[in-house]
Amino acid sequence: MKLFYCLLLFVTPTVFAQKSIQGKVTDQRGNALPGANVFLKGTYDGGTTDANGVFAFQTSESDTATIAASYVGFEVFEKKINLKESIPAMSIKLEELANELNTVVITAGAFEASDEKRMAMLKPLDIVTTAGAAADITGAMQFLPGAQRVGEQEGLFVRGGSGQETKIVIDGMIVQNPFFSSLPDVQSRGRFNPFMFKGTSFSTGGYSAQYGQALSSVLLLNTTDKVSNNGLGISLNLANAGLNYDYANKNQSVSAVVYYGNLRPLFKLVKQNVEWIHVPEFKGSSLTYRWKPTKNGVLKVYGMYSDSHLSMNSNDPSSDTGKMRLVLKNNNAFTTSTYTDSWADGRWTLNSGISYSRNKDNMTYDGANFDRFDERTQARVVLTRLLTGNNTILFGAEAHAINLGNGAGGQLYRLKDRYTAAFVESEIYITRALAGRIGVRSEYSSIIGRANIAPRLSFAYKTGRYSQISLAAGQFYQNPDYRYLYLNKSLQYERADHLILNYQIIKNQRTFRVETFYKNYAQLVREFTGQKYDADPYRFPWGATNNGGDGYARGFDFFWRDQKSIKNLDYWVTYSFVDSKRLFQQYAQSATPTFISNHNISLITKKWFEKAKTNLSATYAFTSGRPYYNPNNEEFLKDRTPSVHNVSIQASKLQSIKGNLVIFYATVDNILNTRNVFTYRYTPDGQTRYAVGPQSYRSFFVGMQIMLSRKAKVEKDEF
Amino acid sequence: MKKLFTFGLLFVLATSIAWSQNEKYTQAMGDGIKALNGIDRSKPDPKSLVDIANRFERIAAAEPKEWLPKYYAAYANVLLGFVAPTLTEKDQYLDKANALLKDAEGIAGKPNDELEVLKAYQSQIHLAADPMNRWQADGEKFSGYLQSAKSINAENPRIYYLEGSSLFFTPEEYGGGKKVAKPMLEKAQQKFGAFKPETAIHPDWGKMETEWMLSQTN
Repeated sequence: MKLFYCLLLFVTPTVFAQKSIQGKVTDQRGNALPGANVFLKGTYDGGTTDANGVFAFQTSESDTATIAASYVGFEVFEKKINLKESIPAMSIKLEELANELNTVVITAGAFEASDEKRMAMLKPLDIVTTAGAAADITGAMQFLPGAQRVGEQEGLFVRGGSGQETKIVIDGMIVQNPFFSSLPDVQSRGRFNPFMFKGTSFSTGGYSAQYGQALSSVLLLNTTDKVSNNGLGISLNLANAGLNYDYANKNQSVSAVVYYGNLRPLFKLVKQNVEWIHVPEFKGSSLTYRWKPTKNGVLKVYGMYSDSHLSMNSNDPSSDTGKMRLVLKNNNAFTTSTYTDSWADGRWTLNSGISYSRNKDNMTYDGANFDRFDERTQARVVLTRLLTGNNTILFGAEAHAINLGNGAGGQLYRLKDRYTAAFVESEIYITRALAGRIGVRSEYSSIIGRANIAPRLSFAYKTGRYSQISLAAGQFYQNPDYRYLYLNKSLQYERADHLILNYQIIKNQRTFRVETFYKNYAQLVREFTGQKYDADPYRFPWGATNNGGDGYARGFDFFWRDQKSIKNLDYWVTYSFVDSKRLFQQYAQSATPTFISNHNISLITKKWFEKAKTNLSATYAFTSGRPYYNPNNEEFLKDRTPSVHNVSIQASKLQSIKGNLVIFYATVDNILNTRNVFTYRYTPDGQTRYAVGPQSYRSFFVGMQIMLSRKAKVEKDEF
Repeated sequence: MKKLFTFGLLFVLATSIAWSQNEKYTQAMGDGIKALNGIDRSKPDPKSLVDIANRFERIAAAEPKEWLPKYYAAYANVLLGFVAPTLTEKDQYLDKANALLKDAEGIAGKPNDELEVLKAYQSQIHLAADPMNRWQADGEKFSGYLQSAKSINAENPRIYYLEGSSLFFTPEEYGGGKKVAKPMLEKAQQKFGAFKPETAIHPDWGKMETEWMLSQTN
C-alpha cells in the first residue's frame, strides 16, 4: 500500500512537467500558413501559427502523442511523436485539398452561366440584364463567343452551323419547339422565361455524349429546384400582361403563370417595317409543381400551353403584287416531368424524365393551306456513379417517338420516327491538373433505318493556378431535315467532326478565354432539281436527294470580361471569326452559306448605380456582311450584304412601393436608327431586289414587374 | 477490508479524474467563450478569431461526444466568413463552418434549435458575401433553417434576432429596412429577456447585437 502512495507522489510531479513543442507550418512550396491549428490529438494542448507560420505551445503529456495540424483548404497532417525525448523544432508541410482553384475542369466548348459554380463565366442574372437581348435566353447567347447573329431567323447559329444544328435541352429533355412559330423573315422569340432556370450551359461544340442530334451545339437549361418568392406577381409591358403565383412549403412548391399578349400598343408607338393584318395576339399559361419526397430526391412537373394568332402581308418577290398574305394560328403544349435523386452519400445519382410536346400551326399563304403538325414523346434515364478521386462514370439511354405532318399544296405528308440512343461516359482525373472525359454515344433512327456510333473525347490541363488549356474532339450526327425525308427515306445521318482547342485564365473577377476550332461536315444532304437555284427559304424540297454534300468551318473566338477594374462596372467583349464553305442543299458548287458572317463582335457593359438602385446596360453588336444569292452574278453566292451595326441600351430600376418590390425596365434597341439589311431577295426575272431587314429600326420597350410579397412583413399574429 | 479500501480509493480516484476532466472541459469552453465575447463586434480581429476557432476545434477533437465545441468552432468560422477580405477566403471559412455544423448535428443526434439557428446564420453570411448572385438560393435556406428552429423551440431568441437583422440589412426596395426590422427586433429583445441558457457554456449570443440594432432604428 505504501508503495502505492509512493508511486502516486512520484508520478504526480511529472504530470505537471511542461514540455514545449515548436515548429513551422507551410504548404508544399514552403509558403508559411498563418492561422493553422497545431495540437496534440486527444488533449486541449495546441496553438495557432503566427504570420510566419510559426507555432509554439506547452504540453503536460509525457508519453507518445499524435501531433496534428489543420488549415482551411488543406489536408489534416498527423504524426506520432515521442514526448519522453526532447523535441526539435518541427517542420510541417500540408497538402492542399482538391478545390476549384487547384483542380482542372473540362471546359472546351462550354460556356456556363451558373450561381453554384465559381468558375462560371456568366451568372443567370446576366441574361436578363443584357441590353439587346430582350430578356430572351437565346437573345443573350447570341452575344457569346462562337455565336453568329442572323437577324431574320430564330435559332442559335454556332460556328458555321445553321439554326437547326443547335438543340435546346431543358433538364435533359429535348425541346421540340423552343421558339414561337417561325414566320418569313421575322425572328421569333424563345418560349421560355429566363427566370425559370438556375443554370445555363451553352456549348459551342465538342459536347458530352449525353446529348445528340445536333451537329453544332446544345444549349442546356436547368430549371430551378424551388421558388423563392411566396406570393403574387404582376407583369405589365407594352406587349403583354401576366400574373404569376408562387406558393411553397417545406417540401413542395407550386408556380402558376397566366398571360395575355397583344402587340397592338407597341406597334402603335414603334413604326413597323412589316405590314400587319392581324397584330400578333397570344395567350398562355404554365404550371410547375416541385416535390422533395426524400432528402436528395426532387420531382418536377412542368406543363405549359399557349396559342397565338397573327396575320401579315409578307414580302414575296415571286408574286405579282410582291406581297403574300399569311395567316398563322398556333397551338403549343409542352410537359416534362423529371426525377433526380442520389444515394450512398452521393456515390450514385439518378436523372430521369419523361416529356411530351405537341405543336400545331394552321397556316395559309394567300388562302392556300400549309399546316404543320409535330408531336414528340421522350423518356430518358441517366445513372452516374462517383468513384474515388472525383472520377465518375455515367450510363444513360433515351427514347423518342416523333410524329410529323406537313401540308403542302393540299396534300398532307406524314412522318414517324422512333429514335433511341444509349451512351456511356467517364470523367477521369489522372492528376489534379490533368483530366479527361471519354464518351461514346450510339443512336438508332427508325425512319432512315440506320444506327451510328459517335465517340467524344476531351482533355483539360491546368497550366497555372488560374489558367488551363483544354482540347475536345468528337463526332456528331443528326437526322437530315425532315422536309427531305418526306420524299426520300433512304438518306443517311448528316455528320460533323469537331476539334477544339481552348485556353482560359480566370483571375480576380477578370476572365480571358480564347478558343480555336476546326469542324468537318460530311454526308450533308444535296438536292438536285435540274433547275436554277431557288433562293426562297420556304420552298418545299421536291428534287432528288443524296448525302453527297460536305463542308468545313474553321476559326477562333475570344472573350474578355472584367468586373473588377472599375467599381460597379462590368463589361465584356467578344470577337468570333469563322470561315466556312459547304456543298449542300441545292448548291451546285461549294460556297459560303447565307447564314455565315465572318466577323461578329459584341461589347456589353453594365453599371449598377447603388443610390438610384438602377442597372444600366449598353450593348454594341457588329456583324459583318453575309452572302446572298444574286441571280445576275455568275459567281454563286459571291455578293455580300452590308455589315449590321446595333447599339442598344437598357435600364432597370428597383423600387419599393408600399412594401412591394417593383422593377421598372426600359430598353431602346438600335438607338442610332441604323437601316440594317439582313439579306436581299430577287424577283423571278432578277430585275428587282427587296431588302430584308428587322421588323422595326429604332424601337423602344417599357414595362414593369410587381412582386406582391408577403415575406417581408412581420405578421401581427406572430407575436 | 483492505481490499474494500483499495477499491474505494480507486473509485474515488477514478471519479475525481472523470470529474476533473469534466471541469477541465467546462473551464476550457468557458475560457473560449469569454475570448469570443471579448471580440470587438464592430471590428472583429481575424487573427484572434482564427485562434479562438482553433481552440474550439482542439476541444472538439479531444471531446468527440460533445457538440458544443463544434458549434462554437462553426460560429467562429461564420464570423470569419464575414470579416475575411476576399470572396474565396470567405467561402473557405463558411464551407468549414458548414462541415463543423454537420459534425455537430451528428453528435447531437436529434434536431437542435441552436444548430438550426447557426445554419441560418451561416446562410445569411454566405448571402452577404455575394448578395447579387446569392440572395435567391441563400434566402431560401435562411428562412428554411429558421422555420425548422422555430418548430423545435419557438422561444429561442436568436431566431428573431436573425430575422430582424436580415430585415435590418435588406434595402427598403426589397421590403426591408430599419423600420420594418424594428418590431422583429423588439420581439427578439423580449425573448432574450426570458431566455436562460441550459448551462453556462450553452449558446447565449445575440442580445448585444439586438440592442445595438434597436438603438439604430429610432
